Amino acid sequence: MAHNNGARGPAFYFLAAFFALFVAFLYGPMLIIFVLSFQGPTGGLTFPMRGISTHWFADLLSSSRYGDLGGAFQRSIMLGFLSMSITAVVCLFAGLAFRRKFWGAGPLFYLSIISLVIPGILLGLGISQLFQLLGLHLHWWLSALGAHLSWTLPFGLLIMFAVLNRFDPSWEEAARDAGATPRQILAYVTIPILFPGLIAVALFGFTLSYDELPRSLLTVGGLNTLPIEISNMTTNVTTPALYAIGTMTSALSFLAITTAFIAIAVIQKRRARAHGDQAE
Amino acid sequence: MSGSSSGSSSSATPYLQVAPLALIMIAMVGIPLATVVLLSFWESDGILIYPTYNLQNYIDVLTSPVTLSLFLKTLKFASITLIFTAVIGFTCSYFLVFHVRNLRWQIALFLLCTIPFWTSNIIRMVSWIPFLGREGLFNTLLIEAGIISQPLDVLLFSDFSVILTYIHLYTLFMIVPIFNSMAKINPNLIEAARDAGASSFQILRYIIIPLSKTGLALGTIFVVTLVMGDFFAVRVMSGGQSASVVSAMKNEIDQLYYPQASAMAVLLVIVVLIMVSAVLRIVDIRSELAR
Amino acid sequence: MSDQSRIDIQNVTKTFGGINAVSEVDLSIEGGAYCCMIGPSGCGKTTLLRMIAGHETPTSGTISIGGQDVTSLKTGSRGTALMFQNYALFPHLTITDNVAFSLKVRGQSADARREAAREMLDRVQLLHLANRVPSELSGGQQQRVALARALITNPKVLLLDEPLSALDEFLRLRMRVELKRLQSDLGITFVHVTHTQPEAIALADQVVVMDHGVIEQAASPREIYNKPHSPYVARFMGGQNVLGGTVERVSDNTAIALSPDGTRYDLPDANDVKPGDKVRFSVRRDRISLADKAQDASNSAFGQVTNIEYQGTFVKVSLDTGQREEFIAYVDDEEYFAAPKEVGQKVYATWKPHLNHLLRGTNDSAGMPHE
Repeated sequence: MAHNNGARGPAFYFLAAFFALFVAFLYGPMLIIFVLSFQGPTGGLTFPMRGISTHWFADLLSSSRYGDLGGAFQRSIMLGFLSMSITAVVCLFAGLAFRRKFWGAGPLFYLSIISLVIPGILLGLGISQLFQLLGLHLHWWLSALGAHLSWTLPFGLLIMFAVLNRFDPSWEEAARDAGATPRQILAYVTIPILFPGLIAVALFGFTLSYDELPRSLLTVGGLNTLPIEISNMTTNVTTPALYAIGTMTSALSFLAITTAFIAIAVIQKRRARAHGDQAE
Repeated sequence: MSGSSSGSSSSATPYLQVAPLALIMIAMVGIPLATVVLLSFWESDGILIYPTYNLQNYIDVLTSPVTLSLFLKTLKFASITLIFTAVIGFTCSYFLVFHVRNLRWQIALFLLCTIPFWTSNIIRMVSWIPFLGREGLFNTLLIEAGIISQPLDVLLFSDFSVILTYIHLYTLFMIVPIFNSMAKINPNLIEAARDAGASSFQILRYIIIPLSKTGLALGTIFVVTLVMGDFFAVRVMSGGQSASVVSAMKNEIDQLYYPQASAMAVLLVIVVLIMVSAVLRIVDIRSELAR
Repeated sequence: MSDQSRIDIQNVTKTFGGINAVSEVDLSIEGGAYCCMIGPSGCGKTTLLRMIAGHETPTSGTISIGGQDVTSLKTGSRGTALMFQNYALFPHLTITDNVAFSLKVRGQSADARREAAREMLDRVQLLHLANRVPSELSGGQQQRVALARALITNPKVLLLDEPLSALDEFLRLRMRVELKRLQSDLGITFVHVTHTQPEAIALADQVVVMDHGVIEQAASPREIYNKPHSPYVARFMGGQNVLGGTVERVSDNTAIALSPDGTRYDLPDANDVKPGDKVRFSVRRDRISLADKAQDASNSAFGQVTNIEYQGTFVKVSLDTGQREEFIAYVDDEEYFAAPKEVGQKVYATWKPHLNHLLRGTNDSAGMPHE
């Protein structure tokens, strides 16, 4: 509350220290496993470091001891992209629909919220048993994708609500007034204006799916996703290979986050500053 | 007056737009949940499932002394986690909103708190192992500092490590909504209160906390439902020594006792929904979100 | 041009959820006229404007532009262009592309439409900002971009929804002049929605005063100001005192009305009332003299001064006459300072009998006059 008085009081420094401690608490352990993943070949799960190497990364990629990591990784990436695309498209249109009153809007909203708050494994149980009852086989690209969507869609919808809060419907009316067809309005006005928000929705769609565990466990069928493989490793693997996989998957998450942030920043910057003739 | 409906777009439009979401949510949430409820009335001997429609699973679950202790344990985890995440989340948000003056810094530090949300929970959980183990960083530091002579066993594979993990994983679910509530507080209100002679503590007590209620309530819903729905952290971080409702459910599922697990699940969902609606009763989130 | 841009609204009603936003409205706007629609918020003026633009469809009734029935014609193809209250400039496009937007959706090539947009921007003196995006422009500049965007299709009718409300006082007066000049240059019909009386009076050839979804009066500004139709119009447009009484007798086209406090008033042009009728009439505030003593018992008001406000060119004196509404006199400053008044003092307000104007309309609501 140092807002109006110029000097920063002791409260500021106390709170700043508290905040710094929290950030250390949030990132510290992660940084430690990143460091430990570069253990030498004789190194263990804790300090001290016995040399620095990429031994455990190589071990992870070459050894068959860790199961089908490569396949699991591929499947998780595919699932991530599928969830991302479906979430972005479905939530865009659903968000637009929720601006108007329609029959069933309330129940659908509550169903989405319920999907967020109930234990994921329970939903996985429901989906797997439903498939069983219908005589369908579980597949990562069908039942697990559905389970992931039950998680990414409600999040995407809530973000769309926040994004649309700042979307002025008179932009669409102005386009209609200029003679634009509904399709032109969508392509030239609605989607371009909402694009930074859609990137955020896509980021949620990808990362939430890529890291999803409880909903996947019972719905994935015969071929596992990466988080399931990693969760199995937590009980079986007692070498720094565990940290190496952690470092790799986190690096991928950070890559996704950075890409999304940069894309949003670039768009915002373009909109805030003078620029030459615009591409179509 | 500026009528919200538009002349030329048809009234069928919202239904077409929302249909994909509705179909997926019904197929992947609505019907599966109904399946769980249905299943909870069936019978299983660990090999096959028989459609029978009786209340035996519920009677078993409700009369078992284990159930009560599981629920109590889960509620204990939830309430301790809630207290810590709320205090940490409130303090950090308060710092960000009222002490960081530069908007750029405010956004950057806020993002710093939320980035882990987009990374793997499993990895964030695993990352505590080199920290807390018998030969972990923490014990080593304590021994070298001469505070203890024997490594502490209680740090890893205990209720302590489970709760620590929860706090680590879920505090950001408190920070985000509380930050949003606080950021909406008009700074003039605080100046007005200061003008009226209120101390910093009184401003906190009578202005900021009441106006952050919505954020606290939303955060509470997130944290409580996340803790109560967890089975993985409690299993890994307690080294299998602790159990919660869902981890017990997971064991039954692993042994193919689906109907029993379903009955437990239905009870848990009822408890969770009661708690969520209790929070909603205290704070009208829907109307305040629209502000 | 002028016949093509004539607007005829016939018996139009618009219902939102069972409530009439606009009820059975009939209105003709001459081609090439500047029409201002005015009324308190919720009076239906914006809905009527949006129906002319095609953003709302009338529940019943017809709207014609240039003699062609456009009631169910798509917006964007009826020769109208709407300028939005907040301008609604597309934030992701340069102002050139904003202005060129309607040409783009009509399939014009990029070069042709940008050329046309530049010409239009030149016309509103913004060519030097052609590559900026809206967030980099001031409010006045944004308003001119919105104007250019609306005009690029050569509309027959330009519809303006509170176009000046987002500007500060100085800019508002300047843009008012520019709008009027633009309209006479283009010779097309402007329909301008506002809630500010001086704006309507200054700009319009035709003022349409609305309340509760109906048109109270549609006439020239001078007529609206001098001959308001109802107590509501008199109060809403401001500058009038509204008085009431019961008709005693009618002779020679003049009715004599007796007020509850016993004062008699001569109402000219009032042969359509008969003895016993309750009537309301108005008298302009700037035509009133204040005196310490009564000269003539009729056509006057007696009361206690409750407030005195110096307004520069005149002095506003409020009287409590024991009636529901306070009585206000705008006294020329020279005349006032020749005989200043004090709060609490009792004074007589007098005026010439021919200044009384009988209010035939029944709408007696208070309005919210902007002084």
